[in-house]
Formats: sequence, structure tokens, C-alpha cells
Amino acid sequence: MFRYESLEDCPLDEDEDAFQGLGEEDEEIDQFNDDTFGSGAVDDDWQEAHERLAELEEKLPAAVNEQTGNGERDEMDLLGDHEENLAERLSKMVIENELEDPAIMTAVQTRPVLQPQPGSLNSSIWDGSEVLRRIRGPLLAQEMPAVSVLEYALPQRTPQAPEDDRDLSERALPRRSTSPVIGSPPVRAVPIGTPPKQMAVPSFNQQILCPKPVHVRPPMPPRYPAPYGERMSPNQLCSVPLQPGRMSPSQFARVPGFVGSPLAAAMNPKLLQGRVGQMLPPAPGFRAFFSAPPPATPPPPQQHPPGPGPHLQNLRSQAPMFRPDTTHLHPQHRRLLHQRQQQNRNQHRNLNGAGDRGSHRSSHHDHLRKDPYANLMLQREKDWVSKIQMMQLQSTDPYLDDFYYQNYFEKLEKLSAAEEVQGDGPKKERTKLITPQVAKLEHTYKPVQFEGSLGKLTVSSVNNPRKMIDAVVTSRSEDDETKEKQVRDKRRKTLVIIEKTYSLLLDVEDYERRYLLSLEEERPALMEERKHKICSMYDNLRGKLPGQERPSDDHFVQIMCIRKGKRMVARILPFLSTEQAADILMTTARSLPFLIKKDAQDEVLPCLLSPFSLLVYHLPSVTVTSLLQQLMNLPQSAAAPAPSNPHLTAVLQNKFGLSLLLVVLSRGEDLQSSDPAAESTQNNQWTEVMFTATQELLRIPQAALAKPLSIPTNLVSLFSRYVDRQKLNLLETKLQLVQGIR
Amino acid sequence: MLFYSFFKSLVGKDVVVELKNDLSCHTGKRRVDMDSCCRIAICGTLHSVDQYLNIKLTDISVTDPEKYPHMLSVKNCFIRGSVVRYVQLPADEVDTQLLQDAARKEALQQKQ
Repeated sequence: MFRYESLEDCPLDEDEDAFQGLGEEDEEIDQFNDDTFGSGAVDDDWQEAHERLAELEEKLPAAVNEQTGNGERDEMDLLGDHEENLAERLSKMVIENELEDPAIMTAVQTRPVLQPQPGSLNSSIWDGSEVLRRIRGPLLAQEMPAVSVLEYALPQRTPQAPEDDRDLSERALPRRSTSPVIGSPPVRAVPIGTPPKQMAVPSFNQQILCPKPVHVRPPMPPRYPAPYGERMSPNQLCSVPLQPGRMSPSQFARVPGFVGSPLAAAMNPKLLQGRVGQMLPPAPGFRAFFSAPPPATPPPPQQHPPGPGPHLQNLRSQAPMFRPDTTHLHPQHRRLLHQRQQQNRNQHRNLNGAGDRGSHRSSHHDHLRKDPYANLMLQREKDWVSKIQMMQLQSTDPYLDDFYYQNYFEKLEKLSAAEEVQGDGPKKERTKLITPQVAKLEHTYKPVQFEGSLGKLTVSSVNNPRKMIDAVVTSRSEDDETKEKQVRDKRRKTLVIIEKTYSLLLDVEDYERRYLLSLEEERPALMEERKHKICSMYDNLRGKLPGQERPSDDHFVQIMCIRKGKRMVARILPFLSTEQAADILMTTARSLPFLIKKDAQDEVLPCLLSPFSLLVYHLPSVTVTSLLQQLMNLPQSAAAPAPSNPHLTAVLQNKFGLSLLLVVLSRGEDLQSSDPAAESTQNNQWTEVMFTATQELLRIPQAALAKPLSIPTNLVSLFSRYVDRQKLNLLETKLQLVQGIR
Repeated sequence: MLFYSFFKSLVGKDVVVELKNDLSCHTGKRRVDMDSCCRIAICGTLHSVDQYLNIKLTDISVTDPEKYPHMLSVKNCFIRGSVVRYVQLPADEVDTQLLQDAARKEALQQKQ
């Protein structure tokens, strides 16, 4: 009997007879032992092993004839054929279906051949996960061990028998994953040491999945390039170092149907890899990585730029000339990137000179040609991998999932549009980014059940959480709180109110979009909701005392002390009605010095200026008058003014305060000049107030006045009504109203 | 998906990635003068990002090439998302208001 100590001892030069004379059982056992525990398990020289495999394969058909029982062999062949048929059909299914999602298709290079589908295996298969579970029931099981691909290739047979062809595909999958003579350990459907499964596996399957080390010739197409050959020997895979890739086999499990690989050839090497539980080589990681940006409908797929394949291998080279995944980007983004690339290219050209780059590139290509690790995967396989990743990125609600990206570029576009309107630049396309949306599927959770048992198990899982701990919430008693805590709590309460109001604000801002998307009947309801939300926002701002007067500004002032509160108020203002907004404005004016003091660090008040200005230009005269009074803290009566007016000083020394004041004055002037005859009482009031105002302005020392954000132009004419020439000049210099002084 | 969306908008910009293993690479163009004691950062142009926030940088440079000579010839790199400690961004490319809104929306969504 031959005893082979190790792979290397395998006599390759024996003729066929000797080869056939291998004692079957002993030989197998010895080899298994060796491979598991002995020297064969250590793969030192996979290249040699591989060469031997290549040579042995010529002898394999003969060996197969001898070693397999006839019955099994027939089945195996049958399965092989079925596998290939099914694989092709599955591939058509997969590729065909993905055409509905142009985003996914742009990630791949190959244009699939459109063929008529088998009727039953149509897109309905992909509609629900229950359907998917029928095909890949075991693969979508919740507890998915992150072990080899083959682990879940073992069908956990649900009691109802799936259709035959799918069944066959599952059984047929591992066919190639053993190699007899090289001495790989027997394919174990389950890794050594896993507890026995509860489902009864038909013995038929087991025979297939833990096959005798009968190696049927791997149906690998000869289109692999020569240096690669059939390098995916199991031994090689043992030596593939674990890559920090992202494509764990468990991920494959979750992708429905993909295990039934569209590529029969692709599946086999993948299985080999999976058997060892290793990751894919890094190359597809890069490829898929390039397709990372989420689906976006680009210009029609024909425009998809060529070959990320060579791009992959150009990783070490200089930056690529184009980006293969550019079509996934917002058009604005793409434009920016192209510009950037142009700049870079120009820079490089200037720095390096053309000759350098040419030679550099050609040497690279030489290097690539000789690269033994090139083209380990077909383009189709790479596409398949990237399709998996793209499918994971399908979202049911791209607006929410991709909120930042879409809105960011919309804003950029608006900005550039605004700029272009001002300067007559070339009109660029206002393209919008459309992301395809996947329908949300409702999954009803069905708890685990055993046949023949009464009742249901209470198993806690992700979809069906169970209460584990009885946690009781205890609130603190009021007595325990110290003053500090109360202050802190008050601030926290304000923060909570701000956040709640912010949610309302975001909702309200979103209504326009929803309005467009909704049906006719729903629109009044939407409007109602919107109004209601605006009212609640206002209530939140002012402190919820719906039926009462609002004597205290305190609540609002508290909100305004916090930076995000101020920003929020600035955003809310456009939604409020004029009276509500005027109320807010008055409150702000009243407490302005306090707010100014609190804003010293943040300096966020100026963000309020523009909504306030907008508001002021809509205010009637009365309001403007009282507003001015508030702002300047003018004495109500004509009594002798206080010696100093710290309120006004503070206002004037602050950028926001001063700007607001000027805006109010300007508005008043507008009102005056626009209808001089009308409403004399108001006019009188205004005139009185203006007199007092000018007196105050003259009185205050020329301290460090702030620089206002904008100076309305009609202030000079305003002041000229109320003061004489000399004082007018004084005012002008003080307030720096004349352009030249600056 | 929030930060995935966020980083997508930064594709094509220069960033500095600091890694947890204290290895950092800089982009080739600018040599950022950082205190190089035990703070390694990778400067690069953000080429792409995926949902796990793995980052691919092109045209990278490391802060302290003498310390890490093996990085001298590396032009592009792929950084697994889980080893990133910081990503330093250009401030003018980020809209903080929008980012806050996105975060609020995401929080709302998760509550539901």
C-alpha cells in the first residue's frame, strides 16, 4: 500500500495503473490525516501543489471513474448540469432585476444580455423576503454564523420542500469544493465542533455536501488568463492572509439569492475561499469600494465610463484620469470634482513634464502585465461583488437617509444660481439628483415554532425583543435639589424645549416638499397640520400659557440666551404671522441689553438681523414707533431724561443693536416719506419719538460705537427733519452716516 | 447613514485622517506642521467612502516620513473605518446647520 507522508511525496510520475492502484480507504485516511494534522496541512509551497493539481487533473477523469460509485456519479453529474443551468437562470434573474435600479447597474461594467425570463422566477421572487426565504431560507436565518460559505450552503430544510430546481442548486453548490488527491480535508458541511442541527438533513444532501473526496473536474471556464490558471487550490486559500475586508461570508448570506451565484465559475472559487472562511482578496474590496456612493440616477447608463477594472490595478499609479463612480454623484459635485482633477492634472503637468508621465505609465503597464495576481476575478465577478454592496445601499427613503448630501448640493446650486443671476455667466444646467427608492416591505414577525408542539417559544431576538430587566424610573424629590441644580435643570428644560421646537421647525420646513408629493385630498389636512405646528412653535417660544396674557418675557429670554435658541428663532420667524413675529421682536428689544451681555461669547445675534429687518419692513407705523421706544429705552413722558441711558449705550455698542436701530429708523423714515398726509396721530407720535431719539443720540458720548452690518441710506434725510444743520453734522459724524468718513 | 452622507459630500476634498494606531498619513500637497510626537496623521484627498466609513485617500503623505519610511512610496490607501480616530476637515466645506438638521432628523427617525 502506498503511504504518502506529504503532498510532496506524491509520485506524479507514476503511470496510470499505479495511480489507480491507490488503496482507496487507506489512502484517503492517510491523506486526511496528513492534511489535518501532519505536514500536508502546512502549506509551504502552494505553487508546487498547484502545479501538481494541474497535472493531476489530466488523470482525474480516470480516477473518478474508479473511485466513485456509479450511482453517485450519475447524480453528481446530473447535479452539475442542473447547477449550471440554474446558475445561468439565476444569473439572468439577478442581472435582469437589477436593471430596474439604474443606480446598481451603473456600478457594474458588464451589460447583461437581456433574455426572457422563466415565468415563475420573475421579479416576484424579489418582492418579498418570504419569497426569498423560500429560495434561500437557511441563508437568511437570523443567527448567521460568520463561518464559511458552505456553512449556510448546507440547506436547512424547512419542512415544505422547495422547488426542485432551487433545491438542486443548493445541493449542487459545493460540488467543486473538494479535491481528492491533493488531500484537502473532507468538506464538512458544518465546521468541526458545531452542535448538531435540529433540522433533519436528508441523507442525500449529506452525501453531496460531505462528499467523498471525489473530485469532479472543476467546471472552470478556460477563459482565465494563463498565469492565474486554477490557482484557487484549497491550499492556496489556507495561505491567503486574512484581509481586513468587509465582505464577510455572513454578508453574503444576507444578500438574497446571491449565493446562487450568477456566475457558475465565480461561485466555485468563491466556495473554495469560503470553505476556509477567509475573506475575498482585497481587489474586489477596492472595486466595490469605488462604487460606494449610493444609487443615484445618472445620465443614461451608456455613458458609464469604461473600466474600473484597470483602474483597480492602477491603484498605485497616479490619480486616475476619471472617476468610475462619478455618475453616482450629484451633478454639481461631479462638476466640482472634474474641475479639481483638471487643476491637478495641470499642476502635475507643470511639475513633471509630459515625458516623465508617459514613461511612468508605460512602466506601470509592464508591471501589470507581469503581475501574477492580476485578473484573479473576472469583470463579471467584480461587478457581482459591487452589486452586492450597492444593493445594501438601497434605501426606502433616500431623502432621509441621504439628507445631508442632497441638501448640501442643493444649497450649493442655489448659491451658484444666485451668483449667476447677478453676473451674466453661462447658464449651467440645473440638474437635480434623483435617487431611486425601494419600496418599504413590511415584515410581520412570526415567532419560532416547532412542529407538533403546543404553543410558541418565547425567544428574544432582534425582531422580537423581550423585556429582560424590570427597571423602575424614580424621579427625584423637589427637596433634594439645591439652587445650583435648579439652575442647571432650568437650563436643561430650556434645552429640551428648544429641541422640541426644532423638531417642529424641521417638520414645518419640510411641508413644502410633502405638499408637492401629496394627493389633492390630503393637502388641506397638511395645511392644517402645518398651521397647528406653527402655533405650537410659537407657544413654545413664548412659554405655554395659552389662555393667558403673557406677562413674562422670561421664557423667551431664556431661550434666547442659548446659541442654538437664537438660531432657531431666526429660522422660525419667517413662518410666524406678523403679530406673533412683532411680539417676538418687541420682547427682544425690551431685553436687548441683557441678551447682548449674554451673547458676548457667542456673537450669534447678527443672524437675527436679516429676519428682523424683513419683518420690520412689514410693520405698521404704530408698531415701529413703539419699537423704537423700546429699543432706545426712551422715557415715556416728556419729563427730564435720566442722566445716562445705559440701555441705549449698550444697544449702540453692539453690532446687532445698532444695526437694528438703524433699520427701525429707516423704516420709520420710509413710512413718513411714503404717506405724509395720512394718519396724523401716528405721525405726531413718531415725530415726538424722533425728537427724543435724536436728543438721546446727541447726548450719548462717542464711545466705541459698533460697526453696523448695513447702513440704510435714508437716515440723513431722516435726521434732517428733526435737527438743525449743526446737530445734523454732529449726528452724522457720530453715527458715521456719511460714506466718506469711513 | 448620516455620516456616510456627510463624507460623501466631502469627496474630493483634502482631509487629514488620524488613526487609532497612531499612524497618520498626510496628503502629499501640503506638509502640515504638526507636533509629530506620537500623533500620526494621514493627509490625503478623500477619494471615496462607504457605509462603514471606510476611507480611501489618494495622494497621501504621512506627517513624519522618517519615522515611517514604508509609507514613502504609498500614494493611495484604503483605511478601514474602525481604525479611524479623527478626521480633520476643511471648515468651509461643512455646513454645520445642515449637519445639525440631519442629526435631528435622524434622531427623530430612530425614535419612531
